[in-house]
Amino acid sequence: MSTEAAAQRVTGADVLLATVAELSGRAPAIVAAASAELGTVVLALHFGDGSTAQLVAARGHLVATEGAPHAPDVDVWFDARAMNLVFDLANRPVDEVLPGSLDVRGDRDDVLAVWRTLRLLAQRASGLRAVQETWRHYRRQDPDLWGRAAASPVSAPRHTDGLATPRATGWTALDFLDQRMPADPRDGLVDGTVTDHPRVLWDGRTSRGWWEAERVWDADLLTVMRRCRDRVADEMDRLIPDRRPKTSLYDLMRAYPARQGKGLRPTLTIAACAAFGGRPEDAVRVAAALELFHNGFLVHDDIADESTHRRGQPTLHERHGVGLAVNAGDGLNLLAIDGVLSNLETLGLARTLGLIHEILHMCRETVEGQAIELEWIRRQFIPAPDSSYYRMSTKKTGWYTCISPCRLGAIAAGETSPDRLDALNEAFRWIGIAFQIQDDALNLIGEEELYGKEPLGDLLEGKRTVMLIHLMRSATAEDRAWLVPLLRLSRPDRSQASAERILAAMHAYGSIEYALDVADRLAHRGIRRFEADLAFLPENEGKGVLRQIAHYVTTRAL
Amino acid sequence: MVIASVAEGNGSGLGPPGPYPRAQLGHELDRRWLHYAFRSADGRLSLIANLSVLGASAASETDPQAMSILLVHDESGWASSQFNAAVDGVPWSAFRLPRPGPRLRIGAAGGPPSLDLDLVRTGRPCTSQCAPFAVNEHLRWQSEPGIVARGSLTGRAGVHREVTLMGYHERVRGRWAWPHLGGWVFGFANAPGEPGEPPPFAVVFTLIQPAVPHGAATASVMVWRRGRLLRHFPRRVLDVVVSGLLPRDRVVTSPPLAATLGTAPAAPVPARLVITATTATDRLVIDVASTTACRIVNPNELGRSGFSVHEVLGPGRITGTLAGSDVDFTAPAVVEFAGGADVD
Repeated sequence: MSTEAAAQRVTGADVLLATVAELSGRAPAIVAAASAELGTVVLALHFGDGSTAQLVAARGHLVATEGAPHAPDVDVWFDARAMNLVFDLANRPVDEVLPGSLDVRGDRDDVLAVWRTLRLLAQRASGLRAVQETWRHYRRQDPDLWGRAAASPVSAPRHTDGLATPRATGWTALDFLDQRMPADPRDGLVDGTVTDHPRVLWDGRTSRGWWEAERVWDADLLTVMRRCRDRVADEMDRLIPDRRPKTSLYDLMRAYPARQGKGLRPTLTIAACAAFGGRPEDAVRVAAALELFHNGFLVHDDIADESTHRRGQPTLHERHGVGLAVNAGDGLNLLAIDGVLSNLETLGLARTLGLIHEILHMCRETVEGQAIELEWIRRQFIPAPDSSYYRMSTKKTGWYTCISPCRLGAIAAGETSPDRLDALNEAFRWIGIAFQIQDDALNLIGEEELYGKEPLGDLLEGKRTVMLIHLMRSATAEDRAWLVPLLRLSRPDRSQASAERILAAMHAYGSIEYALDVADRLAHRGIRRFEADLAFLPENEGKGVLRQIAHYVTTRAL
Repeated sequence: MVIASVAEGNGSGLGPPGPYPRAQLGHELDRRWLHYAFRSADGRLSLIANLSVLGASAASETDPQAMSILLVHDESGWASSQFNAAVDGVPWSAFRLPRPGPRLRIGAAGGPPSLDLDLVRTGRPCTSQCAPFAVNEHLRWQSEPGIVARGSLTGRAGVHREVTLMGYHERVRGRWAWPHLGGWVFGFANAPGEPGEPPPFAVVFTLIQPAVPHGAATASVMVWRRGRLLRHFPRRVLDVVVSGLLPRDRVVTSPPLAATLGTAPAAPVPARLVITATTATDRLVIDVASTTACRIVNPNELGRSGFSVHEVLGPGRITGTLAGSDVDFTAPAVVEFAGGADVD
């Protein structure tokens, strides 16, 4: 074996780690269910290639690490053959356990918990393309285990035009379906997240399988979020006019939207629309408007917070000055209103008015929340109870990040009942707060590339976070004596060293661990409310995506 | 009940020697099946049965494998047997020589669904057609719409009822691996007519899309008038288009065991299928809207992902002009969207 091939060789532990990582991002609800099955069991996996791995459940997600634990509850030994068979779902379970190739040690209940956990993961993982690729690569390292690969015939060249009968009648099924007898727009609404144009399977010459279309699945949250984000980005690009002045206004307005985020809000809006029986495409414009509002807020927020970086690049006011940045932020807000009004053509007056009403409410909540936090900072006040933070966070970010996107999607689907719309509030309020706490924690412990903001930016800004509130609540009088004056400094006077000193204190008092526990608890509260309050929604693709997002909060990488 | 020897026929072989020889299925990819699909005039009752035989591996020295599955759809939804539905006696087929009795009795090994029908043909089959692909692989089939079924049927809720249905029958023989076959779109509709009479019109359409070679698609639309084949539109004059997606909660997986085996998801089923056909002055539009589907997950000999056959029910509207006469009818239709197997 060459050195290069040896370097690319995938071990059993690599496959397990990659599978869990993919599932954590793409199917959070499944990972949450699997971690619930695993409970407190510590699982050690020994692979035939000599690699080992440990799997444990923590805060609603699975943690897989390389190397065997010291005192596992369950030990599993695979040889290469057994490892391959585990993933081969064509086999009956009894065929997976070959004599001498698989050994499991542990208490009966623990072993069963492990079996249920791995079964759950295998069922969903088998549907994910990325996981299939990982396993395919692993399996191909030892092809003999799988018998000889069948030789694939070389595809024949396509027929040339000269061999085809000319078809000049104009009588085509595509024309019939697209123009003469288009599909009812209310049919089949809950699956795709993009416009579903008719697809030609056969036009007398070329063939395309009905199964070949790329689709959005609730099984792969990352793909759904990417597609929703890209679709909404296209719509935003359309809403921002291509006119002068470019360099001082419209280019600036495109700057933040071009720094693409995760796509959480567009996905929530589009998925909620589908969940309430609407056509996903109907939610795209309002999702784009929401993103424009959000970007307008960010520009102003960065000025108010004196932030230097946003999504890995200098903030707009750092790069172009405060005056132009404020103006671009105002422009984004105006274009957002234009975006909402453009729904008149497609959704009609009643739904558009509902959207406007909802957006006004969202803006009011957001500016109130921003006012509360800025006032705290101005008065150098740090609230004692977490509940004050929850209230501020709900207003400042909860509404526009989680609650309103869902409500807007439902309204775009034609939902008018206040009770049904309000059913979204509590679930996504708790999920939103948990998400915000995690975001704050990421700023302190996450990698900059992952988070995109300047490291320790929140500490330099003096942002009131659960970590800071916990620190001030727990610190001894001695530590408070240096913490309070430090926090009273204005941002320019606060140094990176002082921020690092505060961070060290947070580590010492367990404030970050505390915040992550709080986020986990609140996320689970949100998930419970999701299942209870939204039970009236039928199980469809849209609801499946919403459920995945609810769990995404607990399983995303920290 | 005993599982019938569909493979060998006990003297009731499937048709004359030639394209459907009375030969052993000696290769593990040799296949043979009989397909039955019926719907009531109001579309509320539907049944689909597939009795298939897969050739034995020469190495294993075992008999061919017979697999039979029965699906029934009624007000309570889909009911499906496993792949071991019991077939009583020699099942009726228009293609058997000498002519067998009219009986078709199939039932799940335990509980519903089950059926006990007498079948009568009212017309003639089409000529045999063949789709070659890959290397030395092919699928040969022969269709006959306008089959009348009378008898009893038990659906999901265990309700036993007397029924009269109109449907379709076909025989298939060939040798192929599912990933090489790629997939197909197939379906039929019988225009409502007088009891006991052949349907005024019937259409059968087929599009077979092999994965290798990619351009070797085979397609046809056939139209029967009062039991006689009237038109055969070849593949070059056809357009096949789909749109929309059938919500996944309207798709049921079968056999029931598949749901417990971690079966990978299949691509979503199109919500609507439109086929247009044209030759000279003849024009035809077939427009079928999917309302529900049952996904049969077939084992795949070359890979992990199964070959899914979605049996889709929905109303079909057929309009056009044939031989100078207008055609316009709406009838319960069955469409199969099949495919999705990969080589691992």
